[in-house]
Amino acid sequence: MRKIFIRTDYCKGCLICVESCPKKILKISSSISAKGYTLPQVTNTEKCNGCGICEIVCPDFAIAVEKKDKAV
Amino acid sequence: MSGAPLEKKEDGIGAAGLISSGRHYLEGSEACVEGALMAGLKVYGGYPITPASEIMEHAARRLPMVGGRFIQMEDEISAACTLVGASWAGGKAMTATSSPGFSLMQETISFSIMTETPLVIVDVQRPGPGQGYITTSQEDVMQARWGHHGEGPIIALAPSSVQDMFDFTIEAFNLSETWRTPVLIMAEETVAHMREGLFVPDPDQIKVVLRKKPQDLGIAPEDYQPYGHDLVPPLADFGDGYNINHVSLAHHPDGNVANYNLDMHRKNVDRLHDKIEGNADVIARTESRFLDDCEHVLICYGAVARTGVEAIMEARKTHGIKIGFLRLVTLWPFPQSLLRKRIKKVGTIFVPEMNLGMMMHPITEALRDRCDQVVSIPSIGALHRPEALLEKIREVVKC
Amino acid sequence: MLKHPMLKYLKESGPHGTRLPFIMCPGCGAGQVLNYTLHAVDSIIKEGGARKEDFVFISGVGCSSRLTSHYLNFDSGWTIHGRALAIATGVLLANPDLNIVVFTGDGDAAAIGGNHFIHAFRRNINVTVICMNNGLYGMTGGQVAPTSLSQAVTSTTPYGNIEDAFDLCRLAQSSGASYVARWTTAHPHKTIKAIKKAISKKGAAFIEILSQCPVHKKQTPVDMIRAFKAMTVPINKAEGSSKIPVGEFCDTPRPEWTQKYEAIIEKCAGRKS
Repeated sequence: MRKIFIRTDYCKGCLICVESCPKKILKISSSISAKGYTLPQVTNTEKCNGCGICEIVCPDFAIAVEKKDKAV
Repeated sequence: MSGAPLEKKEDGIGAAGLISSGRHYLEGSEACVEGALMAGLKVYGGYPITPASEIMEHAARRLPMVGGRFIQMEDEISAACTLVGASWAGGKAMTATSSPGFSLMQETISFSIMTETPLVIVDVQRPGPGQGYITTSQEDVMQARWGHHGEGPIIALAPSSVQDMFDFTIEAFNLSETWRTPVLIMAEETVAHMREGLFVPDPDQIKVVLRKKPQDLGIAPEDYQPYGHDLVPPLADFGDGYNINHVSLAHHPDGNVANYNLDMHRKNVDRLHDKIEGNADVIARTESRFLDDCEHVLICYGAVARTGVEAIMEARKTHGIKIGFLRLVTLWPFPQSLLRKRIKKVGTIFVPEMNLGMMMHPITEALRDRCDQVVSIPSIGALHRPEALLEKIREVVKC
Repeated sequence: MLKHPMLKYLKESGPHGTRLPFIMCPGCGAGQVLNYTLHAVDSIIKEGGARKEDFVFISGVGCSSRLTSHYLNFDSGWTIHGRALAIATGVLLANPDLNIVVFTGDGDAAAIGGNHFIHAFRRNINVTVICMNNGLYGMTGGQVAPTSLSQAVTSTTPYGNIEDAFDLCRLAQSSGASYVARWTTAHPHKTIKAIKKAISKKGAAFIEILSQCPVHKKQTPVDMIRAFKAMTVPINKAEGSSKIPVGEFCDTPRPEWTQKYEAIIEKCAGRKS
């Protein structure tokens, strides 16, 4: 299982990561950050294959994913 | 000693491609470039404009001889901009232009002041406004101080001879590196095109200043603040590994432009102002003669100093007028306290200028209480003749 | 907390406070372009193609140009509107060994910077120009730009734009750039590859990246990215298509400016510079 980290003080809720994830494991959450942005949330981490596309397309460097599979 | 442009060793090129020490006979334009090379010029970005093009052409020939690089850019704006980039990458840089081009360079000059970028710009002044004419003038001396937008002081020198074009160019580079500021050489067509003897001292007699760097002061990259540490901050070059962010928005000493507040903004502007204006006594220079017993004084600068000194010598010798002479070597920062030190009480202050009266204003402000009157002697498009200056002196002094 | 791998190349904070998040609007393409650029640069550094100290980022003024300002943990210069290429020319002449990347926008590069744009490519100076084209002036409020499409409604063309747009890639190519490519923010891997190629080659490279300005276009970032995919076609399939061609426009190496000047120095100074 790979962990995905979202930097809530950098995320501006643009949701490009949600759109770009090929495994569709990110979705809009009901959480609002301290700055008032709607945050994405991770669903179903087991499906993450560590492709890192969310990291590449994020305009604010607010999401990071473990590339190597970590034993649960 | 032929007066031909320097090309080869026989023409007076010595070690490392620099002009050899001793006597030469050169045009002011050439002397300026030779001084720049002596000071370590590495990059020249230029654009043609009469009467400054000779400086650029000479640089084009000479720079590769010292391993430097010359480029003719597509306009004056980009010419001035190349100096900024070159300086950031550690290369001393210069350009020369005339009055219309000088107007175009003002934004770049403003930017250089805020980013504290050392560079040298020569303005070979010609009359204006507009195309004006291609003869001589001193009409940009106020533009030199106030032409760039925003608060921000500048250093400007006024050469009067071919020797000055050599010496003052070296001084301009030294001032720019010492104070981390653009420096202007306010020449005129007269001084750029005159041809005179030039004496080049031995290289060990010539002082060349290199910029203060953080690595010389033991400041590590992670602690470096490009606009901090000192009134004149040390400056790392691109490639030194200091991750310097050059910014011209009002900034904190570490180059941060976020967390704006009025206090930060004011400190930013005040430090730039104090850096130069607060050190006017150290930076500004004048030269004077016969001030000890004078009853009147002639104050001038640039090419006008040549006829000015002749006129006052004649006034003293032939007509017994006790008139002294002072020339402003530095126009900006204006040497107000130096003037007040040298001139205690006189009748008339004569200020001949090749404009309708510009430096007469700060001169009047400085010496209003030390004289009966300030008389401006304007000349447009041509240098005053000594006879004309003498006639004016005699008319006012009634002698 | 795992950090984004490219944060090592940014200055998150300093003695005078935090710098991130970027001032750009949510979903602005500029942040994505920075991300792609840093991935390309990181790859070059890891492969030993250049040292981190050799990189210099120069920008003009505008949202795209804000990427330098105070964010980069590299040598950088946030300069004057339109003049990034002129300043980059000076940097190169003082130290031809530096890898210069210019961040610019469509207005900065092609309007006020137009003259320097064509001459930098004509000279083939060693620089990689990354132009974020959003078809308008974002920072100042969404005014029309030389890349705004015909009939576009902007704050200064409230009745519709009566002018036509530049094709920046064709402009760069005909000016003499040795490598020209166009991609969009919807093509992250292609963009990273193009930037890496451009930086690794000597000569003047131009990379246009269609980039979204969601605020002034009044669309969501996701909708705009989907539109970039839909409105573009690979250049080798562009014949007869009304879509915007993306891909490599040219890859024609030719001698670079400082390389040519080196011959002059050797001749005049009797040695290498």
